[in-house]
Amino acid sequence: MRVEYINPFVEAAFDILKEVLGDDIQRGELYLKSTSQAVQGVAAFVGLAGNVEGRVLFDMSMKTALAVASEMNGETLTVLDDLGKATITELANMITAQAVTKLHDLGFTFDLTPPAIFTGDNMEITDNEVEALIVPVITKQGKIEINVAVRERT
Amino acid sequence: MNAVEYKAENAVSERVENIDFKMVAFSLAGKDYSIDIMKVREISKAKRFTYVPNSLPYVRGVYNLRGDIISIIDLRTMFNLPTVKSDKNKSDEIIILRLDDYLLGVIVDSIDKVVGISSSTIQPPHPIFGDINIKFIEGVVEKDKRLYIILDVESIFGQDADADDVDVVPEEYTSAPKYAENKSEELNMGFITETLRNLSKFNVTDLNNKWVETRFKEWQKIKGSSSEDLQLHSDQDSEEFLSRFYSPDTGRLWSEDYRNTVSSLLENSSKGTIRVWNPGCGMGYETYSLAALLSDKFSEASIKIWANDRDLMSISNAPNLVLDRQTVPECLDRYIVPVGERFQFSQLIKDIVLFEYHDITHANTFPPVDMILARDILSFMSYNEQLRMITEFQEKLVPGGLLIIGQNEELPGNDWKKIKGNNITAYRKIL
Repeated sequence: MRVEYINPFVEAAFDILKEVLGDDIQRGELYLKSTSQAVQGVAAFVGLAGNVEGRVLFDMSMKTALAVASEMNGETLTVLDDLGKATITELANMITAQAVTKLHDLGFTFDLTPPAIFTGDNMEITDNEVEALIVPVITKQGKIEINVAVRERT
Repeated sequence: MNAVEYKAENAVSERVENIDFKMVAFSLAGKDYSIDIMKVREISKAKRFTYVPNSLPYVRGVYNLRGDIISIIDLRTMFNLPTVKSDKNKSDEIIILRLDDYLLGVIVDSIDKVVGISSSTIQPPHPIFGDINIKFIEGVVEKDKRLYIILDVESIFGQDADADDVDVVPEEYTSAPKYAENKSEELNMGFITETLRNLSKFNVTDLNNKWVETRFKEWQKIKGSSSEDLQLHSDQDSEEFLSRFYSPDTGRLWSEDYRNTVSSLLENSSKGTIRVWNPGCGMGYETYSLAALLSDKFSEASIKIWANDRDLMSISNAPNLVLDRQTVPECLDRYIVPVGERFQFSQLIKDIVLFEYHDITHANTFPPVDMILARDILSFMSYNEQLRMITEFQEKLVPGGLLIIGQNEELPGNDWKKIKGNNITAYRKIL
């Protein structure tokens, strides 16, 4: 992944999560991954297009998703209903949009697709040919893994 | 029936009996190719395929063949042949192939006819077929004074084609040699091999075996012959052992000497675009040095360098590398601009290079390149990864393309044409 793209995603994830969940946020080590991977339970997905092609995936456990949605709505949710799903989708949208805005300021043009959310047990995402940057973020609600796969169009 | 007629009929039937292999002939970039008819389901004409995002460059899109959705592959792009601008309104000629359990369409220039031959006349492929990788060719056959190259569709489109590559280990290329345990010197050498792998991830194989043996003799002279002193106990020991391994000007801008060495390997070319792959670029010093050299030498051409490294710390500063004046050789003066008290490369050079945080053992998605600069990186990969990367280099380079590896590395086997030069190990892909 182009080096210039890394920071905007990391910064946007940090800024937004701090804003909606409070200050207690830590960053895990960034790394690259290319094999299929298990999804923890809830995955929000935003596609990228334009000069590049790719996608951003926000992966977290159901427990984390509930805690995050509860915190953002100011009420305790026990099941991930429409409101909860909309909240997680919105979070994905906010982070990706901010990253794309930062990238735009650097001169890279990206378009977003509307976010989608997947929920369920024992899910796995397989796109072997795509190398993804993993940005793990540890919040007090649990771990959120942001999985960014972007490549230049050739 | 008189004798002459009888003879003629006999001859005909003999010839007919011999035809046991039929193939569909087609042309691609002016050459005749063919595919075994048993693999061909039908022939079709179509245009305007549905583009699929995120697919490989040679996948034109998908096509609805009477209800079956099949992928369409452009053979010209797949084999790195020059592409012609296609007329939007003209239909492409497509051969629909039936592989194990799926259908696949391939676009060719024009479909010729079905040719029947005797399978005994098929000859094995010869390595001089430059355009297409030899492993994709089943054989060659002559019929009516035309030479047909028979493509092996299973190995081109088969799903486990990549897996097969790894299994094919050239006989002459082996992992670390096994040392007899009764000789203490060889035992020490075996220990060194082991510790280099554990401490520095340096893998001793045929790629670098010669250097390690020479270095070990030097090491004995410096450290004495007691086996305790000889061993590498820490990361520092291991790095000290390897300190002589690295190619000239590693981790700094190339000196004028080294630049001239590399320059002497570059052939004058009138190509409009020059593409370079620089895996393991580290902080980007060698990438910038090469970018400046190429812009000097090929000022007319549009140059593109893909530079990757899997170390995030090194590569994250590469796009905005800051230099001290005294570290920049004079020949680069015209390419640097002041930033505060220090210097950076000008936008002209920065625009040539694309730095990516990328592990090259994952899929490499850029187009074929004219040159690969991969100094001292293969030795730090596992044996299987080394084999895979050498095959990948072979596939990514255009015929005649240049590969530069570490000064003390050496490619085993005869698949490459070695180029002589001081302080440099370079190869050209055989045409």
